[in-house]
Amino acid sequence: MSESEAICCQEPEVDFVVLDRIIHEEFGGRREKMIMMMQTIQRHYRYLPEPALYYLAQVLGVPLTKIYEVATFYASFSLVPKGKHLLHVCTGTACHLRGSGGMVRHVAAKLGIAPGGTTPDMKFTLETVNCLGACAVAPVVVYDDKYYPQANVGKLNEFIEKANAD
Amino acid sequence: MKIVMDGKEVAAERGQTIVEVARRNGVYIPTLCHVPALEPAAMCRICTVELAEGRRSRLVTACNYPLRSDAEIHTDTPLLRQNRKVLIELLASRCPGSETLRELAERYGADLNRFPAEDRQCIMCGLCARVCERVGGNVLALCGRGVEIRVDTSFGRLSPTCIACTACVQICPVNAIRFEDVDGERRVIVRGKEASRVPLRRCTSCGARFGPVIDLVPVLERAGESGVPPFNASVCPACSRRNLARRLAERHFEQHAVEPRDAGEES
Repeated sequence: MSESEAICCQEPEVDFVVLDRIIHEEFGGRREKMIMMMQTIQRHYRYLPEPALYYLAQVLGVPLTKIYEVATFYASFSLVPKGKHLLHVCTGTACHLRGSGGMVRHVAAKLGIAPGGTTPDMKFTLETVNCLGACAVAPVVVYDDKYYPQANVGKLNEFIEKANAD
Repeated sequence: MKIVMDGKEVAAERGQTIVEVARRNGVYIPTLCHVPALEPAAMCRICTVELAEGRRSRLVTACNYPLRSDAEIHTDTPLLRQNRKVLIELLASRCPGSETLRELAERYGADLNRFPAEDRQCIMCGLCARVCERVGGNVLALCGRGVEIRVDTSFGRLSPTCIACTACVQICPVNAIRFEDVDGERRVIVRGKEASRVPLRRCTSCGARFGPVIDLVPVLERAGESGVPPFNASVCPACSRRNLARRLAERHFEQHAVEPRDAGEES
């Protein structure tokens, strides 16, 4: 198990026991909870692995195209592996006025990735979001699911250093 | 229920959509994403009409608006003509060279070159994906959303479930989907990209390739004919016709006790 966990960071092997637990135990194998299952799978692998979606389609009896449509429709789903640490920078109107564009450019230049991209060592993913609904404390960033109000370039540098040290 | 369409009272049943009523009464409403056999999706918006129910007047899509009460409908007002003209012009920028759009443009005086062309060979009517779900093997999907929406197979791979029925080829209003039979297989090509390859059946009589090799049981199930034994021809239509003709001729000769002169040498 420890060996497979080690490989996991590179190319996660889909564990069907885990999928079965998510599909059947957590959500009772119910078709209408498909999106929640996909969210849970995404949380587990940090993206939606192709074999997992094939399996989900088969178990739920839903055409794969439908699942693929859902997976490509919602921006929160990803079909490509994400880095270990996830940074979302809000680019909504308020955050934009408070300089979120510059922060995105800063991180992108520093890590050599485009927004939506992941560093080659799979440590860091940079993403933009359209609005986080916290415009009063703009500019907002989310780092590893934690919200940081009134962020600035210095704060982002901290994140990057932390991620690299990890 | 009293329905007045363009000033004339028309026959309509409760629950019928505006397009259905219009078609039945010979009123023209342009549609691009509508086929009576499929659920309406209101994707193309070209069928938009003005509807007055009670005191309010508003714009609704005719293809998926069911009539439930007295209504007055206008299908061809200056506002609608302008609306359609712009829609056609926008669609034409995504799909230049489409014959369907050219015809519509003529009707509504649209300038096909008004917006810079960005050829995506698709007007996003979604007909192919819908017919594929209904008839075919759930091969084509509408991926993404907004301006990025596109027709593709799951994960962009060749589809293992395609039955090569080519319903998508037939239904596409801008002819962006085609198929070719090469090397003993049928390839369905969506906007220049291969979506599937399905082997073709070989005629046991003449050896020519004909219909695709598919598992018909799930197809019959989708068509509501589960339990019907699948019909799987092993002889191509031409041979089948010839064999039948030969059998009929033989029977004719037997019944009339005539010696066939030179049976079965023609083909």
